[in-house]
Amino acid sequence: MEETSLEAIQFNDEIQGLMAPAPETANSFTALLELPPTQAVELLHSPELAGKPPRHGPKPYPLTSFAAANLTFPSNTALIERAARFSVFAGENSNSNTNTNTNSNSNSPEVKRELLEYDSTPSSTCGRVSDLAAENKNPKRKEREKKVKASSKKRKSVTDESSGDGEKLPYVHVRVRRGQATDSHSLAERARREKINARMKLLQELVPGCNKISGMALVLDKIINHVQSLQQEVEILSMKLAAVNPVIDFNLDSLLATEGVSPMDCNFPRTVAPVMWPEIPQNGNRQQYHQPEIPQNIDRQQYQQPEIPHNGNREQYQQPWQFEAFHQPLWGREEDNTNFMTPENSLLSYDSSANSVSMHLSQLKMEL
Amino acid sequence: MKWVKQEFLKKWIWGLRKYSSEKKSMSLMERKKAIKVSADLAMACTRNNRTRWSRALIANASKDGSSKILTEHLLSSSLPIRKSFNSTRMRSCRNILRRNRAVRRPKDRVVASFIAKKLVQKRTRRLKSLLPGGEFMDDVSLVDETLDYIQSLRAQVEVMRCLVTASELMILSPS
Repeated sequence: MEETSLEAIQFNDEIQGLMAPAPETANSFTALLELPPTQAVELLHSPELAGKPPRHGPKPYPLTSFAAANLTFPSNTALIERAARFSVFAGENSNSNTNTNTNSNSNSPEVKRELLEYDSTPSSTCGRVSDLAAENKNPKRKEREKKVKASSKKRKSVTDESSGDGEKLPYVHVRVRRGQATDSHSLAERARREKINARMKLLQELVPGCNKISGMALVLDKIINHVQSLQQEVEILSMKLAAVNPVIDFNLDSLLATEGVSPMDCNFPRTVAPVMWPEIPQNGNRQQYHQPEIPQNIDRQQYQQPEIPHNGNREQYQQPWQFEAFHQPLWGREEDNTNFMTPENSLLSYDSSANSVSMHLSQLKMEL
Repeated sequence: MKWVKQEFLKKWIWGLRKYSSEKKSMSLMERKKAIKVSADLAMACTRNNRTRWSRALIANASKDGSSKILTEHLLSSSLPIRKSFNSTRMRSCRNILRRNRAVRRPKDRVVASFIAKKLVQKRTRRLKSLLPGGEFMDDVSLVDETLDYIQSLRAQVEVMRCLVTASELMILSPS
């Protein structure tokens, strides 16, 4: 297996270099589009050759996105219609050019487009658990794949087939391709694959640097690396924390009394929050907070993002009276837990978002 | 996302305080392990037992010898630990899954589709090994769980980083 995997990786890299992935079939994560890469290239290049005016302006979709439709599928009806017309051109190029051929070719995309538009509505209304967006894409994509695939073969009455297969299952609107099995098993499997591909798209958006990659294996590689790096980061940070604190006390009172604001890293906004509290006149045993921290306002405004000064001012203004209102009943309790809850909330909730204060307050209310 | 961080920080600090109040002096590695385990558990608790990885994480921590006591301390008051996890049942489930995977028809070893399939399978297995409780998940839920896990890991890392910088600031400028 090792030898095959090595050559497979090289093979994979070669294919990646050609900007079109190998056809992957019949796996839970693999693509549905089985279009050979050359044809995809031809299809994409045909509008430029034919000088077709684009409908929605120039669409810079890379070749890979077309070829690996499973990962970066443009659910644009205009593009699909253009693809339909491309199939017409490709059909013309591949087959012998006859007038009748062009006529039949031009007719069927129209019919298919109607079907496509018709299909988008029922799929959007079906109440399936899985992504409605994915479902919406499904019939469109299948239609487009079918048109694309049909261009390579001689076409008969495609419309009858498509309309017949669409109503097989009550929930999932899955269309079968020409020459594909229509039994419930493969349909269900295809639906399942669609679901998985939709989720994988979300995952791709989450993990940085995955959007451009086509090919399930490489995307999974990135995801795995990301997860591993995050786990390692957790280990390193816990080691750091253990090294910094000789005793695990996490004395947050002293954390809050920290001075010396400096632009250390991007988490700066959060670490500044605790030092904002000392400006507010307090009572009780928290007199350690009576430190004039006014110069830090200026520091803060220098280092943070543009919208922070506005929010910071607002927080300062609002906090004095709110703080007093909330803090008195809080200190009445002898529990250790709640004493550090409120500063903790401020530690985290001081963010650039506008609703940080309200969230902070609701948290305090919940504590009490 | 922010309330997740708040919840996490609360539970984490609370658990650490509770643990350190009972065990006064700990070595560096003990401290590190306590910090990490309590952080992981706190993050898993924010999910309210709704995701599989969180349940698996808590279950593993309660079984693992070194962190068992810590887990019991931390979670005794909040969530009930499902101690009824039958390990033999899990093992048999795993074996069934393995057997299903083994029954394949390798038509041709050199076919590109076969190779691609194998690559993806390999990576899926690796991902499952990374995710807590991942080996028992099917592909659909695996992707969901990975999404959730990555998000919670990110939140955990951010909060920890924040705490590290705060503690470092505290040390650098003692008040």
